[in-house]
Amino acid sequence: MRLLINHNKCRRTGQCVYLHPELFKAEADGSPTVLIEHPGEELREAAEEAVDLCPSGAIALVEE
Amino acid sequence: MDAMPTFPPDQLMMPEALSDPYPIYHQLRDRTPLSYIHIPGGLFPGIEEPIRAWALMKYSDVYGVLRDHETFSSARNPLIEKGVFPPLALITDDPPRHTRFRRLVNKAFTLKRIEALEPWITGVAHELLGEVDSREVELVSSYTIPLPVKVIAHLLGIPGEEYPTFKRWSDAFISSLVTTSQEERMMNTQEMVAYFGQMAAARRAHGAEDLITALVEAEIEGESLEDWEILGFCILLLIAGNETTTNLIGNMLNLLVDRPDLWRRLREDRNLVEPVIEETLRYEGPVRMLTRTTNRPVEISGVSIPEGELLGVFFGAANRDPTEFPNPDEFRLDRDLRNHVAFGMGIHYCLGAPLARAEAKITLNTFLDRFPSLTRGAASALRQTASPIVFGFQELPLVLKPVGC
Repeated sequence: MRLLINHNKCRRTGQCVYLHPELFKAEADGSPTVLIEHPGEELREAAEEAVDLCPSGAIALVEE
Repeated sequence: MDAMPTFPPDQLMMPEALSDPYPIYHQLRDRTPLSYIHIPGGLFPGIEEPIRAWALMKYSDVYGVLRDHETFSSARNPLIEKGVFPPLALITDDPPRHTRFRRLVNKAFTLKRIEALEPWITGVAHELLGEVDSREVELVSSYTIPLPVKVIAHLLGIPGEEYPTFKRWSDAFISSLVTTSQEERMMNTQEMVAYFGQMAAARRAHGAEDLITALVEAEIEGESLEDWEILGFCILLLIAGNETTTNLIGNMLNLLVDRPDLWRRLREDRNLVEPVIEETLRYEGPVRMLTRTTNRPVEISGVSIPEGELLGVFFGAANRDPTEFPNPDEFRLDRDLRNHVAFGMGIHYCLGAPLARAEAKITLNTFLDRFPSLTRGAASALRQTASPIVFGFQELPLVLKPVGC
């Protein structure tokens, strides 16, 4: 699976970086970057939670 | 030529400034951080001396403080320490407590749950407007207050017949209702706390299709919410989710009543609904400001601020900062509207933002479906000045002409 951020939708609220620092980090301007682009099964629950918690609906988890 | 006298910062929280704050923000923004009187002396029992804070009004300062929860605490708050305000779930929490709580609540308060609620909310919007004919209506009492109250009651699983009781409880948390006495507010709050306590216990025994059941069942890595936390969350919904939504909807309709061309465009192109809501949030957001406290000495825009100082973070001023939003006093749909801070930023970003956006969207679509035009009533609109936190209307008289009228 692949973890993606849609930067056109992202509002830089920082929720993903706050609640899932294992998956995201913040850049200097506050925008997030994905740390693990292809998370393993052990990170599935965390990745799904991140998709659900984004207030901008900007995170997607795509099965490959 | 006389220079315009600068507004005295010590009067920032006075009624005159609260009813028309934006010109004052423009006068003060470049000079912030600026010390001002946040709570006047004598306003609350036992607080004889004024409580001062540092006003932040520049977009970059406001965004920076909201994103740095390690330096700027929400839990340390002189107003809570002095008993002026009670602590609130999430809003006055710092990590690690905040982190655990927010993750668990996120499990229950999901975008999916809100989307599932949309048809029901649309029904309520139509029901509230059902009685409206072409005469003048006062929208705050007839629509913008009841809609969010009904939505929260429904979310919490309160049966329809108990709505009048719930409305009475919820009024205890509406700051602009100056008619309610402090004693009444206290009694209503106690009654409500008892009710939700019983409800949480009942849902633990037998689940139902409501938010309280979802909160009872939410679990992350073996952790779940205690009854008192669920209770705190119910109160948070009323304080943070009720009057704010009321004022977002009121501010939006007030802006649209003066823009008949935009109303016509909206009726033809519903793609404009979302930008109108986002620009309303930026232009006249329902929350003026909230506070933080410095955990260490800091420098903000060149001003040294010691540890333990209260900061007034003015969302409304940041959202009109010309550096971030060119021509900030123009209501325009062609800007980048992702950056406004109407819902805050960082770890405390409004949990209810998707619900507020849904209620605003449903309201606007319902009004567009039903009313070819909006006009002002004969009575004047009245800004509320009782609360230094929320920005909205106490009275908003409009004439709504239904289709076919």
